[in-house]
Amino acid sequence: MAGAVETAGLAALPRVARRSLSPGRLAWRVFLKNRPAVAGMAVVVAFLALALGGLALTKGESPVLDPREVRLPDKLRPPLARPSPAVPAESRPSLGIYFLGTDELGRDVFARMIEGTFVSMSVGFVAVGIAVLIGCILGGIAGHYGRARLPAPAWIVGGGGLAVLVATGVAVQRGAGRSDVALWGALGVLMLGTGVAGMLLRRPFALTTDTVIAGLIDVMLCFPTFFLILTVIAVLKPSIWNIMIVIGLTNWEGTARFVRAEILSLREQEFVQAATAMGVPGPRTIRRHLLPNAVAPVLVSATLGIAGAILTESALSFLGFGVPPPDATWGNIIADGRKYLRVAPWLTLVPGTAIFVLVLAFNLFGEGLREAFNPKLREG
Amino acid sequence: MLTFVIRTAWKKLWTLFFVSIISFGVIHLAPGSPSQIDPLNPRFTREQLQRYRAAFDLDRPLPVQYSRFYWKLFTGELRSFKDNQPVLPKIWGRALNSLPLFLVSTVVVWCYAFPLGIAAAVRRNSTFDKLTTVLVFALISIPGFYLSDLAINFVVQRLQVDVFGLETFGRRSLGWLPWLMDRAWHLVLPSVLGAAGGIAVLSRYVRSQMLEVVSSDYVRTARAKGLPEDGVLYDHALANALLPFVTMFGLLLPGLIGGSVIFETIFAWPGIGRLGYEAILNRDYPVVVSLGFLAAVLTLIGTLISDLLYMVVDPRIRL
Repeated sequence: MAGAVETAGLAALPRVARRSLSPGRLAWRVFLKNRPAVAGMAVVVAFLALALGGLALTKGESPVLDPREVRLPDKLRPPLARPSPAVPAESRPSLGIYFLGTDELGRDVFARMIEGTFVSMSVGFVAVGIAVLIGCILGGIAGHYGRARLPAPAWIVGGGGLAVLVATGVAVQRGAGRSDVALWGALGVLMLGTGVAGMLLRRPFALTTDTVIAGLIDVMLCFPTFFLILTVIAVLKPSIWNIMIVIGLTNWEGTARFVRAEILSLREQEFVQAATAMGVPGPRTIRRHLLPNAVAPVLVSATLGIAGAILTESALSFLGFGVPPPDATWGNIIADGRKYLRVAPWLTLVPGTAIFVLVLAFNLFGEGLREAFNPKLREG
Repeated sequence: MLTFVIRTAWKKLWTLFFVSIISFGVIHLAPGSPSQIDPLNPRFTREQLQRYRAAFDLDRPLPVQYSRFYWKLFTGELRSFKDNQPVLPKIWGRALNSLPLFLVSTVVVWCYAFPLGIAAAVRRNSTFDKLTTVLVFALISIPGFYLSDLAINFVVQRLQVDVFGLETFGRRSLGWLPWLMDRAWHLVLPSVLGAAGGIAVLSRYVRSQMLEVVSSDYVRTARAKGLPEDGVLYDHALANALLPFVTMFGLLLPGLIGGSVIFETIFAWPGIGRLGYEAILNRDYPVVVSLGFLAAVLTLIGTLISDLLYMVVDPRIRL
C-alpha cells in the first residue's frame, strides 16, 4: 500500500539525515563542542535579557530602580550599604540596600549599571548594524557587479588630465598664486599619466566597480579609526546617536571585504547561475541568494565588532567624548568613577568587570563561530 | 618587477589624492559659517571664527581652499591656534617623544606574540592552548585605561615611584646614569600596557595563520615523506605561516599616531597621540586636521612598503 511505503520512507529519513549534515548544522556541532565559545554565548544571551529587563525596570515615571535619583546624604556608600535615615522614604532604593553602592551624587550604582546595560549594548548593536549594512551593500556590489566596467576608457582620463592642466594654466594667467593651484596641477599630471599609461600599455583599463570599492576601502583604512572617531565626535557633538553613527561609519571595511570574498566564490556556483539564467535581477540575487550564504563571516565580524564598539564607547567616555549624561553607560560610569579610584573602588570595579565580562563573552563567542565556520581551522 | 613597483606606487598616489580630499573635508565639518555661531557656546567666539576663516581661507572658492591648505601645511604657514607655532615642526617634535615608546612596545609585542601564537597552534586544544586563548581574550577585553589605572595605582602605592611623563622632575641633575635609568623606567609601564592589547591580537593572528598552514596539502606531504615533526613544523610550515606578517612591518608606521591616544593621555606622555587629544580639546583645528592627514599618509607609505616587501618575499605576486 502507498501509505505503508510512505511511513517506511519517513521512518528511514532520520538516519539518512544524520549522515549528511548541512554545512550550517555541521558548524553548529563544532561550535557546541567549543566550551569557552558556548559559555560566551550564554553570557551574551544573559546580558541581552538583563538589558531588556533593565529597560523595563529603569524607565518610566516611577521606575522600580531609579538610576537618576540623587541622594546627597548617601554619597559614595559602599556596596550592600543601607540608606541613611536622612534619606526620605520615597527616594530610598526599592531593594532596601544599595546593592552595588552609590556614586558621588548618591545615585544607586546598581540601577545605573542596569540602565547602562541597555545603552551600552544598543551602542554596540546599532553601530555594528550600521557597519554591517554598509559592508553588505558595498561588499555585495563589489562581489556581484565587480567586473562591470565603468565608462572611463584611458583617453577620457588622459583628456580630463589635460583639461585640468589647461584650466590650471589659465588660472595662473589670470593671476592665481602658486599656492592656489599647486595641487590641481599635480592632479592633472596624475590623471594625464594614468591615461597615457592606459593607452600605451593597451591593457584593459582596470576601472571596474570592484576597483572603485576596493579603492574606497583603501582610503578609509588609511585613517586611524580611533583618532578619526575622536575628531568627528569632537567637531560634531557627543550625543549617543553621533557616537553610534560614527563608530558604524568607520568600521564597515572588514565586513565589506569578507562579503566580497565570499560572494566572489559563490558567484560561480550553479544555484547563482540558475538564478541569473531565470532572469532574477541583480539586487534580488544578492539579497536572496548570495548574502544568506555569506552570512557566516558577517556574523563573526559582527560579533567581534560589537565587542569592539563597547570598548570604543568606554574609551571615548574616558577621554570625555562619550555618551553625555543623563544617559548612563558602562563607559561613562567607569570614566566618572576614575576620580574616586582610591576612596570608592566599586565605582570602577563594577562597570570595569561588566565591560570585561561582556566583551570577553562576545569575543569568545565570535571566535568560536569563526572556528566553526572555517573548515581549515577545524580539527581533522 | 619594475612595472609592479611603478604600478603600486601610482595607485598609492591616487589613494593619496582621495585621502587629501577627505582630510580637507574634515575642516568643513566644523562650524564655519557665521550663522552657526551659537551665542551660548563660549568655546566658539566671533574672534575664533575670524581666525578659523583666515587659517583655512574659508572666504575663497573651494578648489583654492583645498590647494592652499596643503601648500600652507608644507611651507610652514599653517600655524597652531594655541601657540602660533608652525604645525609640522610641532608635530615632529612630539613624534620624537613618541618614538621610544612606540619602539619599545612594538618590540615587546613581536617578541611575545609570535612564540605565543606558534606554541598555541602547535599544541592545539591542549591546556596550554586553552589557557593562552582565554588569557589573550582577557587582555583584549579589558578597557586599556582601566587596566592602566589599576597598574598605576598598584605601582605607585607599593613601590612609591613616579610613573608619569618622560622623566622624574629634577632627575637630570644627578648625572647621566640615574637620568638614563629614570627615562628607561618611565618607559616600562606605558609600553607594556600599550603592548598588552597588541600581543593579544597579533598572537591570535599568528595562531590562526599557523593552523591554516598546518592543515594544508604540502604539510601533509612533508609528513607523509616521514620528515620529523619538528622539521615539518618549523621548516615547512612556519616560513609560509609567517609570510603575511612581513607586510606588518609596513603597517606598524601608523601605530605611531593612532594607537597611542589613550596611553599617552593616561601617562601624561608628551607624545603625538596626546598632542592630538589636546588639540581636539582646544579646538586647535590646524593641528587636528594636519595630524589626521599625516596619519593617513604614514599609513599609505606603510602599505606601500608592505606591498613591496611582499613582492620580495612572495614570488607569486610579481607575475
